[in-house]
Amino acid sequence: MTQTPSFKGTHLFDRLCWAKENLDGVQSDYRVVYEDSVDECAKILVPDPNWMACALQGGILPPVWVYHELAKDEAQPDFKKHTRGYLLHETEPMPAMTEEEAIEYLIQKDCPQSVWTNWDSGNKPKMVICKTEQLPKTRTWRNAWRISDELAA
Amino acid sequence: MAGKIIADQIEHSTAGSLDTSYVVNGSAKAWANYSGSGTTLNDSLNTSSATDHGTGQYTTSWTNSFDNATYAGSMISQGSSTVNASYFFNMYFGGMATGSLRINSYSQAAVALQDSSNVSTIGHGDLA
Repeated sequence: MTQTPSFKGTHLFDRLCWAKENLDGVQSDYRVVYEDSVDECAKILVPDPNWMACALQGGILPPVWVYHELAKDEAQPDFKKHTRGYLLHETEPMPAMTEEEAIEYLIQKDCPQSVWTNWDSGNKPKMVICKTEQLPKTRTWRNAWRISDELAA
Repeated sequence: MAGKIIADQIEHSTAGSLDTSYVVNGSAKAWANYSGSGTTLNDSLNTSSATDHGTGQYTTSWTNSFDNATYAGSMISQGSSTVNASYFFNMYFGGMATGSLRINSYSQAAVALQDSSNVSTIGHGDLA
């Protein structure tokens, strides 16, 4: 297995370039289906193969709380540009994750916080992690796709 | 990192010289290529995921966020079948944040949002 160089303090983009050159992409079979609005259809989040390779390798990606801090800054009404981008580069990178841990990380990074903080409250789950083959085989009525009521506890 | 070269300028034997800042500032910092019908990511750089929001609507999320939300995003798509392959698709922004870019794929022929068989998204700008 390729050894990850010591990347703490290395710009995240440089780490990603290293990963692109040295790691094979990993196509995950997991998909994250979520609903963040009652007026809209279910959304499907697909992990990126190169990102997944970084997550499984370890020592490349920053902890997910770094993204939450940047999101807080960006939510400020007077936001112009990031002033704490150093958090991405200088925070100790995450160790190697399992594919399941990587999906949990990705949910917290790329799904709306309102979905993953209380995904299981209400009459039915707002979010489901599934395998690709569990999704409909065709795109017919794509804009009407919803998480099945049968998943309600 | 091993193999690091620090230079402010590069020079070609006949074609002249170029400040490396042109290369650093002008290169794409993120890109992704994915299937718009089923959303399978084919290849990418600096991308963590793609989200399928419904017919013809996608979000690409970046791993290394951009410095601000005024970076330049661009996109192109390809028709979704032998018939649609000749359609013109208007691609327009559905939302832009430092960590993601939402795009819509609108078919002029169908006069509606429509899936594209292949979507490419690119981001140029300063990274955080």
